[in-house]
Amino acid sequence: MKKALITGITGQDGAYLAELLLKKGYEVHGIKRRASLFNTDRIDHLYQDPHVSNRNFILHYGDMTDSSSLIRIIQQVQPDEIYNLAAQSHVAVSFEEPEYTANSDALGALRILEAIRILGLEKKTRFYQASTSELYGLVQETPQKETTPFYPRSPYAVAKLYAYWITVNYREAYGIYACNGILFNHESPVRGETFVTRKITRALARIKLGLQDCLFLGNLDAKRDWGHAKDYVEMQWLMLQQDQPEDFVIATGVQFSVREFVDTAAQEIGLTIDWKGTGVDEKGYDANGKCIVAVDTRYFRPTEVETLLGDATKAKQKLGWTPQISFKELVSEMMREDLKAAERDELVKKHGYSTYNYHE
Amino acid sequence: MKKALITGITGQDGSFLAELLLEKGYQVFGLARKESWYRQNNASHLSGRVEILFGDMSEGVDIASAIQDAKPDEIYNLASQSRPGESWSRAPETLLVNGLGAVRLFEAVRHHCPACRVYHASSSEMFGQASIVPQSEETPFNPVNPYAAAKVYAHQMAKIYRESYGLYIASGILFNHESERRPLHFLTQKVAYGAACAALGIIDSPDINEMGRPIVQRGKLALGNLDIARDWGYASDFVYAMWLMLQRERADDFVIGTGKLHTLRDLCETAYSSVDRDWRESVVSDPALVRPMESGQTLADPSKANKLLGWEPTISFDEMVKKMVTAQMLRLKNLVINSN
Repeated sequence: MKKALITGITGQDGAYLAELLLKKGYEVHGIKRRASLFNTDRIDHLYQDPHVSNRNFILHYGDMTDSSSLIRIIQQVQPDEIYNLAAQSHVAVSFEEPEYTANSDALGALRILEAIRILGLEKKTRFYQASTSELYGLVQETPQKETTPFYPRSPYAVAKLYAYWITVNYREAYGIYACNGILFNHESPVRGETFVTRKITRALARIKLGLQDCLFLGNLDAKRDWGHAKDYVEMQWLMLQQDQPEDFVIATGVQFSVREFVDTAAQEIGLTIDWKGTGVDEKGYDANGKCIVAVDTRYFRPTEVETLLGDATKAKQKLGWTPQISFKELVSEMMREDLKAAERDELVKKHGYSTYNYHE
Repeated sequence: MKKALITGITGQDGSFLAELLLEKGYQVFGLARKESWYRQNNASHLSGRVEILFGDMSEGVDIASAIQDAKPDEIYNLASQSRPGESWSRAPETLLVNGLGAVRLFEAVRHHCPACRVYHASSSEMFGQASIVPQSEETPFNPVNPYAAAKVYAHQMAKIYRESYGLYIASGILFNHESERRPLHFLTQKVAYGAACAALGIIDSPDINEMGRPIVQRGKLALGNLDIARDWGYASDFVYAMWLMLQRERADDFVIGTGKLHTLRDLCETAYSSVDRDWRESVVSDPALVRPMESGQTLADPSKANKLLGWEPTISFDEMVKKMVTAQMLRLKNLVINSN
């Protein structure tokens, strides 16, 4: 039985990947940080009681900023594959916490590569590094592919760029099977609540049911290439099953603006948004003329990434990978799930119990 | 009186820069680790003329407090783990100091002295196996060792701090710059040392290399790949470029190099012939000294610095090599005198 170790298993991709690998018969190990709140919502359905025998889903306490914990876990597990998905993954937050972002995203990746080397697992353990389309930042050509020069625009992107290069360096210098998946935005119903797509679907559902008044967003003109996380984790696995380790761009090749995402999501629940005004004064009104979407400059980033569009031709040719879930299906699923959650909140409230707002 | 803070003041560049700034009438502060300052270092002769603030680039509090103490008009961030070859065995430390150290400094500047002008030491190593020769400010990076990857990290962060917060941060992409102040494990110094030994008839040298053996053993100097080519300039010319970069109205990045390429073989030839010796009798190529991945051909296109800074190197390759060999001969003679 193959063993996989997933860092960032409590995140969106970690949860989907764990599910996929369990289905493929892997023994799946995950690393989670100790937190004062439960942070395992996304993998709760995979949890196995530690008292049952032959568990194939095992969580370890560890931290990307703690090299001894990483070395200990890797030594214990002796994984065939490591998927490094853990990161401080929020672009805007990285401007507030540049040092922590570098420590977990850049040094974190290096610590795992070093662990593989120190433990003599160079020939055994395959390594997947979650790289990102944010590397392209101020894009140098459109669409972006594996050969497009990078131009990072945030501390997050720069930290990820280090992780990208160090992965390439360790592959070439030590012959480790290590690959970068340069993934464009990928979303799902379990996307973090502070990411723009999830923020939109959550807010619209709550506005629809009268639990919230208005959705505040940053740059409505930002254009992204949005895919479904479930599709993308399939590729993460495929990348580690090849004869030779290589880097791949993973994207849908279709682009929408944040405003278009809002429109598509609103339509799903029977809302039509009437946009008026421009720039920071742009507002979205519902059929009754109530303002339900507005721009708040606090969500602008110091340096903005305006447009990202991926060209996944190489992945299609070499991995035979194409995304299965369309943009519309993705938005629809996210909207449906968030509407369910909002309905649950509404029901709970109606019966006199309190719910959490989970403000950002 | 203008005030300047230099990180890495005990290094080659730090000491040349401190001399330059003192000459220009600056009050000079240096950030140094105690263990670097309290031993013989390149800036020891400046003791009393520069004010040393003790601290470490891996501790943000040290950097912030140095900046608050010195209240500098200019900061020169030269501190780093400066050995690309060694960065393979010290990769985490290299990123902690060269990458995160720079970010801690930029954060401290942003919060405590946003009007301060910052020079950041980037490196031609960032170009790595560049497919474009020569390299300018526009050439994409392709780092091939952990040192270079950490330098790319810091360089890109400098740019983000400049563009996001309007800080004055100028990065100098410096090609190799050498001098008699380089530690002995640097390639150019090894060659100068080898030539000096040959000139003085020293068969087994008193100084040892990174493998713990005499640098010159049984009359032979062991080097790696002799075909590698570098753009080598003289360090004091380069620190002048650093200062020039901070005297402009707007911060910008500059490639600083001579624009001339020399192979390691050329270097050996120049060094040994400066003392009338034949390098082929003394130099051997040892496969153990070849790096896991060599950088490609790095050659500077310094036209932007020529044009906008009016900068040009003043000391030629031959003069530099001669200075270095002479300095090593003097040092070795003193060693012999002292041991007798």
